Amino acid sequence: MAMFHDDDQPRRFNLSVWLRVLRLARPYLRHAVGLGLMAISIAACETLMPYLSGRIIDRVESFGVDAVFWRLAGAYVAVVVGICTFIAGFILLAGRIASGVSHDIRHASFAKLQQLSFSYFDRRPVGWLMSRLTSDCDRLSRIIGWTLLDFVWGFSLIFGIATAMLFLNWRLGLLVLLVTPPMAAASAFFQRKLLHSARAIRKSNAEITAAFNESIMGVRTTKALVREDANLSEFQEASSRMYEHSVRNALQSALYLPLIIAMGSIMAGLAVWFGGVRVLEGVISIGVLVSFINYAGLFFEPVQQMARQLTELQMAGAAAERIVKLLNTDPAIKDSPEVQAALAAYAHRPRSPGMAPDGFDEQIHTIEFRNVGFTYEGGEKVLEGFNLTVHAGETIALVGATGGGKTTIVSLLCRFYEPTVGEVLLNGVDYRRRSLAWHQRQLGIVLQAPHLFSGSIRENIRYGRLDAAEEEIIAAAKLAGAHEFIVETPGDYEAEVGEGGNRLSTGQKQLIALARAILADPQIFVMDEATSSVDTETEQLIQQGVERVLEGRTSFIIAHRLSTIRSADRILVIERGRVVEVGAHDELLARRGRYFDLYRRQFSEQRLAELLPEGA
Amino acid sequence: MNAYRSFLRLLEGYRRRYAAALAALAVGTCFAYLAPLVTRATIDSLMAELGDDGVMTHRWMADVLGGPSQIVTRLWLPAVAIAGLAIASGVCMYFKGRWAAQASEGAISRLRDRLYDHLQRLPCAWHDRHETGDLVQRCTSDVETVRHFLALQVVEIGRAILLFATVIPIMFWLHPPMALVSLAGAPVVVAFCLLFFRRIQPSFQSMDEAEGRMTTVLQENLTGIRVVRAFARQDFEMDKFAVANRDYRDRHFRLISLMAVFWPASDLLVLSQQAAVLIIGAWWAAAGKITVGTLVAFLAFVAMYIWPVRQMGRILADLGKALVSLRRIEEILHAEPEAAATEELTTLPDRLEGRIEFDGVSFAYDPGRDVLHDVSFSIEPGQTLAILGPSGAGKTTLVQLLLRLYDGARGSIRLDGCDLRSWPRQWLRSQLSVVMQEPFLFSKTLRENIALGRRDAEEQELFEAAEMAAVHEAISSFERGYDTLVGERGVTLSGGQRQRVALARALLQQPAVLVLDDALSAVDAETETMILRALRERRGRHTTLVIAHRLSTLCHADKIIVLSAGRIVQQGTHDELMRQDGPYRRLDEIQGDQAHAIASGGAK
Repeated sequence: MAMFHDDDQPRRFNLSVWLRVLRLARPYLRHAVGLGLMAISIAACETLMPYLSGRIIDRVESFGVDAVFWRLAGAYVAVVVGICTFIAGFILLAGRIASGVSHDIRHASFAKLQQLSFSYFDRRPVGWLMSRLTSDCDRLSRIIGWTLLDFVWGFSLIFGIATAMLFLNWRLGLLVLLVTPPMAAASAFFQRKLLHSARAIRKSNAEITAAFNESIMGVRTTKALVREDANLSEFQEASSRMYEHSVRNALQSALYLPLIIAMGSIMAGLAVWFGGVRVLEGVISIGVLVSFINYAGLFFEPVQQMARQLTELQMAGAAAERIVKLLNTDPAIKDSPEVQAALAAYAHRPRSPGMAPDGFDEQIHTIEFRNVGFTYEGGEKVLEGFNLTVHAGETIALVGATGGGKTTIVSLLCRFYEPTVGEVLLNGVDYRRRSLAWHQRQLGIVLQAPHLFSGSIRENIRYGRLDAAEEEIIAAAKLAGAHEFIVETPGDYEAEVGEGGNRLSTGQKQLIALARAILADPQIFVMDEATSSVDTETEQLIQQGVERVLEGRTSFIIAHRLSTIRSADRILVIERGRVVEVGAHDELLARRGRYFDLYRRQFSEQRLAELLPEGA
Repeated sequence: MNAYRSFLRLLEGYRRRYAAALAALAVGTCFAYLAPLVTRATIDSLMAELGDDGVMTHRWMADVLGGPSQIVTRLWLPAVAIAGLAIASGVCMYFKGRWAAQASEGAISRLRDRLYDHLQRLPCAWHDRHETGDLVQRCTSDVETVRHFLALQVVEIGRAILLFATVIPIMFWLHPPMALVSLAGAPVVVAFCLLFFRRIQPSFQSMDEAEGRMTTVLQENLTGIRVVRAFARQDFEMDKFAVANRDYRDRHFRLISLMAVFWPASDLLVLSQQAAVLIIGAWWAAAGKITVGTLVAFLAFVAMYIWPVRQMGRILADLGKALVSLRRIEEILHAEPEAAATEELTTLPDRLEGRIEFDGVSFAYDPGRDVLHDVSFSIEPGQTLAILGPSGAGKTTLVQLLLRLYDGARGSIRLDGCDLRSWPRQWLRSQLSVVMQEPFLFSKTLRENIALGRRDAEEQELFEAAEMAAVHEAISSFERGYDTLVGERGVTLSGGQRQRVALARALLQQPAVLVLDDALSAVDAETETMILRALRERRGRHTTLVIAHRLSTLCHADKIIVLSAGRIVQQGTHDELMRQDGPYRRLDEIQGDQAHAIASGGAK
């Protein structure tokens, strides 16, 4: 999984990646041009101010307070007002670009994530994906908005100051500018160091966060193993690493800033020395000398900013690559060109009743797995030579140890993955020749760990069918056995379920997920029964709900409960990617094989719960 | 004042270094303020040389440099002085940065360590009441806020105060009316910034909230991607995200628009102050009230003090955050850790014998809701006690009480005849080892995880423990064997594998009491039989407590307790229980002739 750790290694400038990023910023071209103009105007104003103050001083020295003095003063005030206006303009424009670009990149990435196949998600933790759409997006938009600005501004200001100095007195100007190369070199050097140490801090910080997290989650184990002191000394290593990185970072800036300020003072010193001589020689006026001294003090800021942004740009290379890679990923599972053509063709033609949008039969009469095998990208084989034909209305129970391949069969059925060997046929047609969206709409799925979205209970049930009427929602909840607890909850159907449904118990979440699936009224019902224990009452509710859903519906159930298993038409015992036994409950028991063993264990556990009910 | 004391306490041991940083800052500031005086002396000397009639007053700096005539003939002297003062000031600033960083980072590092240690010594009951996410946030982002305050904000405030303290006397010494002109804008700037940031706090908050909503939609979509696909709700999700994303963008931009008012407005104030000094100063210079050098010096002074002053408003507005964070951190630090034993035993044996007695024990996590009622039983050293019962019967509570993870049980629990509370907690826990149903493994290598049981164990012993727990083979099959990392950054183990690794860890510990709390529930039947056989061979080496809900796991125990809803409903040996008419026998009947029972169960 090493490839999924954030790395911010500065990389060589990758032109094609940045061109792609710039294409994302294309809609903001006009803003960017405006931003550039603002930056140049600001730089021009900043160049003008020391010049004007020099002129003012010369004017009063020679002529006292006269009309020209007032005109110069007026110009100075105008420049001040101008610079403030331009600053307002650039903040607005840069802000528009930065917030807009990050919005657009996030939007495009999110849309892409909705299409990508599960094989993409299997190998990437949610947290990793999240940081692509949060920190990477922010970083890129910052680069496009503010870095651009700083570059244009920095360049213009350096150019402006240099021009002004050379214009005022080119010899003195050249002399003072001598300090620029070492200043730029020092800035480049330190900015690099600073960004490296900042990265080390971030890494240490992540380590510390993880340590706190682990320590809090595992506090019982720590206590039981009497690990407190050992844990603390390990943590102290991490926190002293953090200390060292932070202090190093602080020392670098403590060294860097005074250093370039001192360099600026050397410039000012040179201006005083040689400028003073020129003043005595009568070559320049005292006002020009004052302008030179002021310019010297202005120089370090653009140099510092540009060095910073250059390094920033290098560091963002990794983020840009990751985003571009995400946007360029092609979903492994999507409609083939033929299916797309069929969908387009039927979109404008009236369909006969019972015809799906892709031109085939809407009703699913048979589902057949023909010699299906599945191998993960990493080469791990999880299913082999799987054959099964299911007729409409049948209930299939999948049993067997975890990791045996039950979930894979269900995922293949749902076309979350496609078989690497063999085919899955609907009414005799390979499902790769059917529309993916149509296929997945025919499914109702209840997962082992039911996932709800934040919002009200009603919104969560309605997720099954967005246009469902109020009565239908309540009917579905009643059928699932969820209605009772919902009306007892304060706010009933309006009650918020919290983030991920965390305000409800696992059992309640399952009931709502069940109601959601019922509302979708799917042709195929898929359920992964929960193994975690819920209280007896809810358990019974769930059981009854499931039984009602199964009636007359084609269903696949990864089953743990005896009642579900017993009521299935066929039971498949799956082990190590193969079906080891198939048959109805009685047949399999009579065979005294794997199912018999499994059943015996399950049975005694359940009996115990029945014999010793809670509150007995 | 209370907050002030809290911060002071935080800096304990680092106060001198912190004070030294502020002193370096003060000296560095003074050096920095001398440079404009050098420029002033030079310009005025040049002007005098050129025959200007301006009156040169306050010639202290000019005299230091040898007087005006000396200056004009040796112009390298002021140049060196300007550069030298900047370097001297830079050196001071370097030490300021160094000491401030060492003091604040040191204090924060210590705070982190204290938090970490305190958290692991707080009672489980306290942890039950707090959410992990919230605690982690207090230990990370709140600590970061306090760090930011100590390392940067306090220093910035100190700098602004020192700047004022230095610049005001110098300016008034040079020319009081000019000083008044130069300082007039400062209070306006501070007040404006402070008020502005106070006013826009809600906008910051509203942007943070919008960002939170956006990430929540994103996170829920990604974690629920299977549900999204299962209901083919991609378009719906896209719309939902688009709304949150747009909202975040708009609020973000709104904040930027406010900043587009703030920065130019405060710039205007600052630059107007500079323009006022320039224009009024030039006027007075023309009138001969001040020299050009004085004007240049005042311009430099204003430029030096006014920008840090502009930062002040923002810092002052942010001060409240540091206080809130510190309070949230202190809430953790002020919570009572696990109490020491009352009347602790002073002499501890090398090892517990392992006699356990529960006498009329009742316990409630929440007052009034007992999960154990009047539970009494005893086990002799070396014996095996099995506890049978459905989930929620109170089995795990028994174990947690035995480990003293929770206090407050009524009745009495005795170990080796002494009250449980008289054994020091940590020593007691070191004598017991527990394997839980969902064991926690640390994100370390498998070897390190097992070796947590006993750090000085030989490699051979470690392998033996793994073998007995039937996990050696599985571990050896990993590419990196025992050096495989567990958890997020390594392999994901199955439930059964985790249980067996935890069992190996417990066995390696060679405890006086071994507790298996439904510890083999995810292990398949064959492996379980193997492990149980291996454990039976060790019989007598430690007292064993087995919790399970499968009879096959329990029937060899010396004593069996049947627990239901917190009460013991049956207790005895397998044979005794078989003679009674009760749940145990009925359960055994089902399993004793399972084929028959299942056949009839299947037929119904």
